[in-house]
Amino acid sequence: MNMMLKISWRNIWRNPKRSLVMVAAITAGLWGGISAASLVFGLLEQRFQTSIEQHISHLQIHHPDYLRDHVVEHRVEDWKALQEYIDNDRAIKTYSMRTTLNGMFSSAHLTGGVHIIGVEPEHEASTTRINDNLTDGSYFSDALRNPVLVGKQLAEKSKLQVGSRLVLTFQDTEGDLVSAAFRVAGIFQTANKQFDESHIYALRSELGHYIDSEVVVNEVALLAMDIEQINPVRERYAEAFPGLTVRSWDEIAPDLYYMQGMANLMMMIILAIILFALAFGLVNTMLMAVFERIRELGVLMAIGMNKKRVFSMIMLETSILSLLGAAGGLLASLFTLSILGSRGLDLAAVGGDSLNEFGFPSFVYPTIEPSFILMLMLMVVATALITAVYPALKAIRLHPAEAVKEE
Amino acid sequence: MKTVIKTNGLSKTYTNTAVPVHALKNVTLEFKEGEFTAIVGPSGSGKTTFLNVIGGLDKPTEGHVVIDNVDIATMKESQLFDFRLRHIGFVFQAYNLIPVLTAMENVSFIMLLQKQSKREMEKRAKEMLEQVGLSDKLDIRPSQLSGGQQQRVAVARALASKPNFVLADEPTANLDTESAFNLLDIMARLNREENITLIFSTHDQRVIDRARRVITLVDGAVDKDEHFERN
Repeated sequence: MNMMLKISWRNIWRNPKRSLVMVAAITAGLWGGISAASLVFGLLEQRFQTSIEQHISHLQIHHPDYLRDHVVEHRVEDWKALQEYIDNDRAIKTYSMRTTLNGMFSSAHLTGGVHIIGVEPEHEASTTRINDNLTDGSYFSDALRNPVLVGKQLAEKSKLQVGSRLVLTFQDTEGDLVSAAFRVAGIFQTANKQFDESHIYALRSELGHYIDSEVVVNEVALLAMDIEQINPVRERYAEAFPGLTVRSWDEIAPDLYYMQGMANLMMMIILAIILFALAFGLVNTMLMAVFERIRELGVLMAIGMNKKRVFSMIMLETSILSLLGAAGGLLASLFTLSILGSRGLDLAAVGGDSLNEFGFPSFVYPTIEPSFILMLMLMVVATALITAVYPALKAIRLHPAEAVKEE
Repeated sequence: MKTVIKTNGLSKTYTNTAVPVHALKNVTLEFKEGEFTAIVGPSGSGKTTFLNVIGGLDKPTEGHVVIDNVDIATMKESQLFDFRLRHIGFVFQAYNLIPVLTAMENVSFIMLLQKQSKREMEKRAKEMLEQVGLSDKLDIRPSQLSGGQQQRVAVARALASKPNFVLADEPTANLDTESAFNLLDIMARLNREENITLIFSTHDQRVIDRARRVITLVDGAVDKDEHFERN
């Protein structure tokens, strides 16, 4: 082993308790930081996934005016041509062609506004997996006339149960109000309470009877094979169907896109604060290590160890201490992530239910990008090197003739 | 005999005190190769200052210190580090070994700084520790050695770098009589056999009795410079 490395290593363990406390502090700080970050990233990732899978999809196609005014007249006229194009497109995994309406619902207990989504059950199931989110009832039971799926929050508020009757009122393509009776076939619960409180799924074919003589499609949601390749797909559809508006997920929900960037930044700031706090501990430890060895450092300089080498030695000691802590923090974090990443963490017990109000899941699977960990490690090394400078400067400012006489 | 150190009009005044302290006053001396010199004098007479100045650890206020035809008084601090490393051996009163290194590593360390090869370093370190009678303590750390043994390692370290001369500041002050005699025997032998120039600052009569030259400093000035014939 290189002698300088050997000296630095042995110097660190001169006071094992002090060094271990410092290493443990860095380990705990990093573990806490990485765990918190992975929890936040897990929440965001799941929110992203559920938003994409259950609500937004990768691409949405509408009549250009639909975005301004959500009325049923703003529909995709030649939806059959679009469907044929999609069916032949290998870049698309699945899709759902919907009739979406803003309307009113009335139950025996409550009346209110609601967003009605008319779907073709098989396609909707493959696109948003809404069928997997049923907590009660069945997915559009054939036994019921005009079956609908109601969100759990809405069902609770309006005291609806499977089999309950409700009346939906909406406009037809002529602009006239239409009311029709529907039966609750199932109750669904997604990770987004707001969505569950304001959405009802109905059969597209049944809605078609009330609003027009034929099927109306005013929203097409597509899932691509690869979300990373969504932009070329979007451009292709925009070119193929110039009369329609084609939007990718980040255009539909820019908050999702920015939230991820923000989370990265916020976590970096939090970790920087943790590292900043650790830096004080590190400076303190290294200053003590320098002050305890004034005579020895004086001797080293007296016999000809130049300032550059003394400086490097202190820097090396600090770096080793930090890297040990960083390695400990990383290992502890990876261990925690390996367990929680597969088993998940139920935040419901600690008030995590409220997360659902904002569309976040309460059962989280922590996750973290390797690039984030790499960035963090670089931050640790940078912190170590920066904090080492002060004690190292103290060391080289010693006057050897005076330092060798230090008691 | 070759002149190893030549000082000319050396003065050192400390001004960072309430009253300026004239630690050295116009000291002009020459040290020849192979000399065994004791610098003596009462406390505060300037012994340590003199050693610091000729050892390149402190700069004189006035005068010159010429070693190997180079005036080290005019050298930059960064040059002095290298000069000390290559030309001067130090032995301190409190041994001052590196506690985390073994005897062998302590002796090798200075050669490492001189960028000698590992083989060369190990060979020389073993040889030097053998010379001071510690060939059986190569892998022992300072804390497990007696004071006398530690000071012998310090002597081996000072000589390992093949310096022009060795400066020893009260090297026997912390040693019992037996260890002090033992150390002095070793140093006297190395001085005699290897022609190593030794300069001690000391109060210790045992050292003074061995020295072939005794320089007495009083109030920073040379009071006496005596030569003795000794074996």
